[in-house]
Amino acid sequence: MTRVLVVDDEPQIRRALRTSLEAHGYEVSTVGTGEEGVVGVAEQAPDLVLLDLGLPDIDGTEVIRRVRAFSDVPVIVLSVREGQQDKVAALDVGADDYVTKPFGMEELLARARAAMRRKSPEEPTEPLLVFGTLEVDLARRLVSRDGDQIHLTPTEYSLLETLVANPGKLLTHQWLLRKVWGQGYGTETTYLRTYVRALRKKLGDDAQAPELIVTEPGVGYRWVGEPTEGVPEHAE
Amino acid sequence: MDEPRSHAVTVRGVVIAILAPAIAAIVSVPLATSGPASAIAVFLLACVIAAVAGGLWSGLLAAVISSFALPFLFGTERFSLQLDGAEDVVAAVVFLSVALVVGLLVGGATEDRARAARREREARLLGHLSSKLLTGEVPDRVLDDFANILLDPFALASCDILVELDGHPLHARAERAGVEPGGPKALVPLVVGAVSFGTLEAERPMGRRALSKDEELLLEAAAKQAAAALDRARLDARVRMAQLDAETNQLRAAMFSSVTHDLRTPLASIKAGVTSLLDPSVEYEPEQERELLTTILEETDRLNRLVGNILDLAKIRAGALIPTRQAAAVDEIVGAVLRRMRPRLQAQGIQVESDIRPDLPDVMVDEMQLDQVLTNLLENAARYTPAGSGIQISAGVFREAVQVRVSDRGPGIPPEERERVFEAFYRGGRSPEMPGSGLGLAIAKAIVTAHGGRIWVEGAPGGGAAVVFEIPIGEGGP
Repeated sequence: MTRVLVVDDEPQIRRALRTSLEAHGYEVSTVGTGEEGVVGVAEQAPDLVLLDLGLPDIDGTEVIRRVRAFSDVPVIVLSVREGQQDKVAALDVGADDYVTKPFGMEELLARARAAMRRKSPEEPTEPLLVFGTLEVDLARRLVSRDGDQIHLTPTEYSLLETLVANPGKLLTHQWLLRKVWGQGYGTETTYLRTYVRALRKKLGDDAQAPELIVTEPGVGYRWVGEPTEGVPEHAE
Repeated sequence: MDEPRSHAVTVRGVVIAILAPAIAAIVSVPLATSGPASAIAVFLLACVIAAVAGGLWSGLLAAVISSFALPFLFGTERFSLQLDGAEDVVAAVVFLSVALVVGLLVGGATEDRARAARREREARLLGHLSSKLLTGEVPDRVLDDFANILLDPFALASCDILVELDGHPLHARAERAGVEPGGPKALVPLVVGAVSFGTLEAERPMGRRALSKDEELLLEAAAKQAAAALDRARLDARVRMAQLDAETNQLRAAMFSSVTHDLRTPLASIKAGVTSLLDPSVEYEPEQERELLTTILEETDRLNRLVGNILDLAKIRAGALIPTRQAAAVDEIVGAVLRRMRPRLQAQGIQVESDIRPDLPDVMVDEMQLDQVLTNLLENAARYTPAGSGIQISAGVFREAVQVRVSDRGPGIPPEERERVFEAFYRGGRSPEMPGSGLGLAIAKAIVTAHGGRIWVEGAPGGGAAVVFEIPIGEGGP
C-alpha cells in the first residue's frame, strides 16, 4: 500500500486529507511540525510527503533540505498563493511540485500520482520516448517529428533531455539553468527562455496552447507531453 | 520709494537756486539805470520761482545768493561782497522771508501730493497682494508671487520669505536680474495676532540707500497680509484634511460593507449546502446531492478569489506591490493563464481565442504579476460575456509598447463609465448583482501602472468591451 506522510499544522487540513486519501486507498500518517516531519520521513520511509510550508517550528524549505540529505521521496508542497517566493525556494531545494491552497482533491491526487510515477534518478529512463508524433531517442540522441528528424543544438537537446527525464515535474528556472548550463548559472532566465522558445518552435509546440512544455510564470517549466505507448502515431 | 522728498536738498534744487538768481542778474542789468527797485523785483521773482520749482532749500539758497548778488551788482559799493546799507539788509530779509514762505507752502503742497500718490500706490500694492494671496493656491507658489511683487515697488535686489507652515518649512525667493545684491537689508516679521509664521528679508542693490521708515512700514503692512494669507491657507488645509478624512471614512465604510457582503454571500451558500447534505432527515437524489456540492465548490472558489483580491489590494495600498522584472514573452504567459483557466471557462460555455504573434518583442515584467493581470481581465470578461460566446485575447506592438487586448461579447461599457471601472469596489451599473468584488480591474490597473504602463477600456467590435493594457518595451530594461 502507498504510504503518504502529511505534514501540516492545521488539524482540519490533516483530517480532510486523511479522510480523502484513505478513501483513495492510501495509508496516511499525519504530523503537525517540521521536526516531526523530518523524523517521520526517516522512520516511516513514506512513498510521498505532503508538506505545508507554514509550519510553526521550522520553515518548510528547511524540512525539504534536511529530508533531501537522506531521501529522494517525492515531496509536494502545499502553499498559499501569497507565498510565491517560498514556493520557488522550496522547489529550488528539491520539492517535486506544489499545489496552492485551497486546492481540489483531484488536483492534489493527480500531482501526487505524477510525482510518484517519476523514476528515481538511479533507474534508467526508457531509451525511446514517444509523445504523439514526437519521438525522442535518448540512446541515439535523436529527435524526430512525424518521422522527420529535428536538428537540435547540443544545448537544446540537453534541455529537452532534462525536461523529458522529469515528466510532469515543475522545474524551476534555477534548477534548469544549473542542470543544463552548469553549476555557475542560476539567474540567467533570458537564456532559458530563448532556448525554450527555440525548442518549442522546433518541436511544434505553441506557447499560447502548449502541449509539451508548459510555462509556470515566474517559477519555471513543466514537461506535460503524455508518453504514448508503443509505436509512434505516424508509423502505421 | 524713489520720488524726491519735498524738503530734501537735491542737486536739482541747487542748480535751480543758482540758475534763478543768475538769470535774474542777466535780466536786471539792463534795468539797472531805472534804479534798484526793478532789479529787486526781478530777484524776488527768481526766489519765488526757485522756491516753487526747487523746494524750500532751493528757494532759501536763491534768496541768499540774491541778497549778496543785489548789492554786488547795484549796491553802493559796487563789486564788494558785503551787505551794508539798510536797503540791502531789508532786501535780504525780504528775499529770505518770501523764499521761506513760498518754499514752505509749495513744499507742503508737494508733500501732500506725494503722500497722496504714495497712499494710492500702497493701496494698489496691498490690494494686488491680497488678491494674489486670497486665491487659496498652494502657499509656496503664492509666496513666490508675493516675493516677486515686492521687488519693483521697493526697488529691491532680492526678497526672501522664510516661513514654517504646519511644520513644513517654505522658502520663497525673488531676485531682480542684472542687479548686484549686497545693499542694505530690512527684516520684517510675518505675524498674525500672536502667531509668527516667519520672516521676510528685503535687500536693496549694492550701494543703494536703506529703506526709509515709510517704506519699512509699508513692507510690514504687506508682510502682515502675507501672514494673514498663510494663516488662511493653513486653516483651509485643515478643513480640506477634515473633508478628506470624512470621504476616506465614507469610502472605508463602503468598502467594509462591500467586503463583508461579498465574503458572507459565498459563506452563506456553502453553509446552506453543507448543512443540507448533513441533514439526517433528508435523503437526496444523487443529482440533487451533486448540485449542492457543485454550488459549494463554486462558492469556495469565489471566496478564494475574493480573499486573494483583497490581499492584493491590501498589498497595493501598503505599497508592497513591487514588480520583480525580467524579460518575458507575453505569449508564454497567456498560454500559462489559459491552460489554468480554460477548463473553468469551458464549463461556463465560454471559448477563449488568443492571437499573439510569436515574434512579439519581450517585455520587462514581473511574470507572476502579468499572470495576475491577465487572469483578472479574463475573469472580468467571463463575467460579462454571455455563455456560448467567446473571449478574444490579442497582442501587438504599438508605439514602443506591447499592447494586449482582452475583448468580450458582453453588453459593453458606456463611455462615461470606462474610467470608473478601474476604481476599487466599482461594479458598474450594468449588472449590480453580478458576482465579483469589483477589485479585479483595480488590481490589474495597479500592476500595469507599477510597470510604467497604461490600461483602459474600449468598445469591442460586436458590441462588447475590450480592456486594453500596454507595457512599454524599453521600460525597466537591464
